[in-house]
Amino acid sequence: MDSEAYSTELSRQHKAFSPSRVWAIAGNTFTQLVRMKVFYFLLIFSALIIGANLLFLSFTFEQELKILKDVSFGAMSLFASIFAIVGTALLIPKDMEDRTLYTILTKPVPRFEYLLGKLMGILLLIGVSILLMSLLFFTVLYIRQHGILAEKIASLPRHASETDIESFRESIFSRGLQPELLLGVIAVFLKAAVAAGVALFVSTFASSTLFTIIVSLVVYFIGHAQSLALDYYFTQGELHSAGQRFLAGLVGVVFPNFQLFNVTDGLTAGEVIPASLMARLVGLTAFYLTIYSLVSWMVFAKKEL
Amino acid sequence: MADSSTPAVQIEGLTKVFRLPLRKEKVVAIDNLSLQVGAGEVYGLIGPNGSGKSTTMKVLLGLISPNAGRASIFGLDSGDTASRGSVGFLPENPYFYKYLTGSETLAFYGKLCGLSRKEIRSRSDELLEMVDLTGARNRRLGGYSKGMLQRIGLAQALVGDPRLVVLDEPTAGVDPSGSRKIRDLVLELKRRGITVILSSHLLEQVQEVCDEVGIIFNGRLVREGKLNDLVAIEDQTEIVLQNATPQLLDGIAGLVEREDCAQLLSCGHPRTTLERLFLQEINEESKTGGQDT
Amino acid sequence: MLMASVLLASAGLLRLPFERDMELEFKEQGFRDWSPGLSTRDQLTQAAFVGALGGFRSLVASVYHLKAHNSFVKKEWGDVERYRAVTASLQPKFWSYWDMAVWDMAWNAYGHYRGEAEEYGNDFRGWHAESIIMPRYLEKGITFAKRGLEWLPEDYRLMKVIADIYDQKMGNPEKAAEWYLKASQKPQAPSHVYRAYAHQLTLCAGREEQAYRVTEDLYRNSGNVTLTLLRDMERLEEDMARRAAHDRSYDQLKDAAFAEASGYLEMAAFAMHLLEIRKDVPAAISVYTKVADNRRAPSFYRRKLAFLMAEDPQKAAEAYTILKDLAVSYPGALRREDMARLAELESRLGIPE
Repeated sequence: MDSEAYSTELSRQHKAFSPSRVWAIAGNTFTQLVRMKVFYFLLIFSALIIGANLLFLSFTFEQELKILKDVSFGAMSLFASIFAIVGTALLIPKDMEDRTLYTILTKPVPRFEYLLGKLMGILLLIGVSILLMSLLFFTVLYIRQHGILAEKIASLPRHASETDIESFRESIFSRGLQPELLLGVIAVFLKAAVAAGVALFVSTFASSTLFTIIVSLVVYFIGHAQSLALDYYFTQGELHSAGQRFLAGLVGVVFPNFQLFNVTDGLTAGEVIPASLMARLVGLTAFYLTIYSLVSWMVFAKKEL
Repeated sequence: MADSSTPAVQIEGLTKVFRLPLRKEKVVAIDNLSLQVGAGEVYGLIGPNGSGKSTTMKVLLGLISPNAGRASIFGLDSGDTASRGSVGFLPENPYFYKYLTGSETLAFYGKLCGLSRKEIRSRSDELLEMVDLTGARNRRLGGYSKGMLQRIGLAQALVGDPRLVVLDEPTAGVDPSGSRKIRDLVLELKRRGITVILSSHLLEQVQEVCDEVGIIFNGRLVREGKLNDLVAIEDQTEIVLQNATPQLLDGIAGLVEREDCAQLLSCGHPRTTLERLFLQEINEESKTGGQDT
Repeated sequence: MLMASVLLASAGLLRLPFERDMELEFKEQGFRDWSPGLSTRDQLTQAAFVGALGGFRSLVASVYHLKAHNSFVKKEWGDVERYRAVTASLQPKFWSYWDMAVWDMAWNAYGHYRGEAEEYGNDFRGWHAESIIMPRYLEKGITFAKRGLEWLPEDYRLMKVIADIYDQKMGNPEKAAEWYLKASQKPQAPSHVYRAYAHQLTLCAGREEQAYRVTEDLYRNSGNVTLTLLRDMERLEEDMARRAAHDRSYDQLKDAAFAEASGYLEMAAFAMHLLEIRKDVPAAISVYTKVADNRRAPSFYRRKLAFLMAEDPQKAAEAYTILKDLAVSYPGALRREDMARLAELESRLGIPE
């Protein structure tokens, strides 16, 4: 074949964006993490929630179910955020250190696809872990609420009416496995997704895993406190100098607002989150991920490897 | 460019300067370097460590961008992702995902090259056979030896059926029998008409397989040419024999003696003449200046 | 890098008002009920504070709930109070945390010191527990409930628990009635809260008329005449009748009793006069018979009538029939001590067991 014809053929064949390449990288990232045996954490998670369950049987059922939900959501959020940050920080800088990145980028893979693939792989991992955790959580909750009901029924006088039992069932189950809990699970995922976006961005200019983890964690914590800082400096504006307010504003502009994703605190206390607010939370997450992917790409595209 | 002569690799006036972080110093890694590799050739880049071989390859592969000049592969600019469609690259001391098995590794890189599932299967069978890893295909890379990693790396470089293969120090840190295997593979590639660029600081390797070599020192191409041209001494002829008996050698010596004008200069095992040449070039270079390292 | 920073900053500016909006809505929906003020900062450990800030507020609250429980087991009431305060302030919209705090103060700690007061009697320690510490824990309980009400102004349970303290611990029916009434007006309040209000009213000196209005209304219209309600009704009507019987003259009472539009209450007042001032039992019996025959009159008049008749050997048999009938149709009308009198009556009449 003529060389010139070959090269035109080549550039014609090359796709500027190929979902299958992204998917290959995402799948590879996921496989890699799975084979690093990260899913052993599920054992810790089960031990935590089952332990939380067995320890506190002496409380009222309302308290008991709340503790179970608190521990489960807390552990879920902790694990998901750790996976998001540590997983991302572990993979991209490691690819650079090991020069595995060279072998990938010298295939016809645009750098944007590489980043996107890594991000998707991490999101896949977070998603699957959260799915497994919530299945465990819901199963334990389901078993527990039926256990509590059975205990209640057993403690009732023999001639207790069907309506009495029904009202017990209702009051116990309303504290138990409710569809609103799913919204909490989704919020946990969204927050971890944004954290992964942050870690992705940091890892594009960081040179080591440790640096990425530390910077991402700092952003994570400041991100939780930033809305409070804004609140504090702007609602009591007269008390603070323009400089302080500018600084607080700057923090708000630069750092993501992680506090917004804290839905589970309210849910376990019995609040109800409207669907429109949830939809906006999803939209906001998409916005964050888009922005972080873009800036990551801008840095990474220019990066000398 | 009438006669299918788009070179496999064309590098023109390439310059790359690295800034050292937190310091004002700059390091010139490549200095106005030009070279050209024709399709089907095996080209060897030689030079000591830090002379700019790897940097040149990275620019060629689009991993870093040059400060000046341009590099292209089969006419496509190195900055264009499409140019990587025809390249296979084996980095120096490569690490792959050690949680993947040999065939999973090839499948992964095959997918990145846009191969179909069927193509991937037949291609990996063929390549694993070629690099002699069929028996280890279902083992994870974490358990591979250095030589095996190098060979799976070569297979990985070839998975997309490239027309140009770039090998950075392919035999570094590999035991002698391993490096022999790699040399054989390079010759096999050449037989198939694939263009190969390899870099080495081990001259023996280059000498055995390359059609053409470029000597890089301090980021400059100091000498380039056909291997034979560079090392041939016009009035001398070298005969290399295999399994020669002492009787045969005596016979040859007798034949030479019978000729008036010819003279047997040496008889023994071959030596690296290229090494001699290389040292000579470097000495000259150091004398004429350019000590900016 | 510069471009990336610019993009990041402008995206930040873009999202800020949007996020502000969402934050406000979250606040409205009750999701932002905690802000780390200085007081909570002092009471939380470093780790707990970071945890609460970092999205584990609910979990930290649960942990402090457990700590409070541990201190409760060890009877360290100061710690219980502190931990309860932290727990409640971390999730102030969760009523149960306030309720637990109130309960720990006004029941558990209070009960503990009552035990101490009983043990040490008139010692200084006993006196101190009883007159200084115990009232203080009641006040603490009430304070917790009132702080909870600032967050949950519609929660009848916290109002009811305040009323419970005034009722059961302080013996202050005025205050108890006030809080039961408030609680009963909340949408979720069950009907017994209003009945508790009515009962407390009957205990307030000087508010008998109001108490009677409320009680009678419940008696006639609620469809659920509890024993307490019946006894309150009886006590109030007896008191009213007795007051009238003592304040007014025979003629006045008689005229009122036999006036055109009079009810059983006027008749009962006349009967009371006959019984307690004139000591004319047969006349009283005949007037009480008229009262008992009135359909609106509660069952306790028939009980009173029957026991008056039982004193007269000629009417004892008839009295027994009335009582028997009452025991069957209005078991609440008879009291425990009535059983002995009934048995005595049976033996007098020679009726077998």
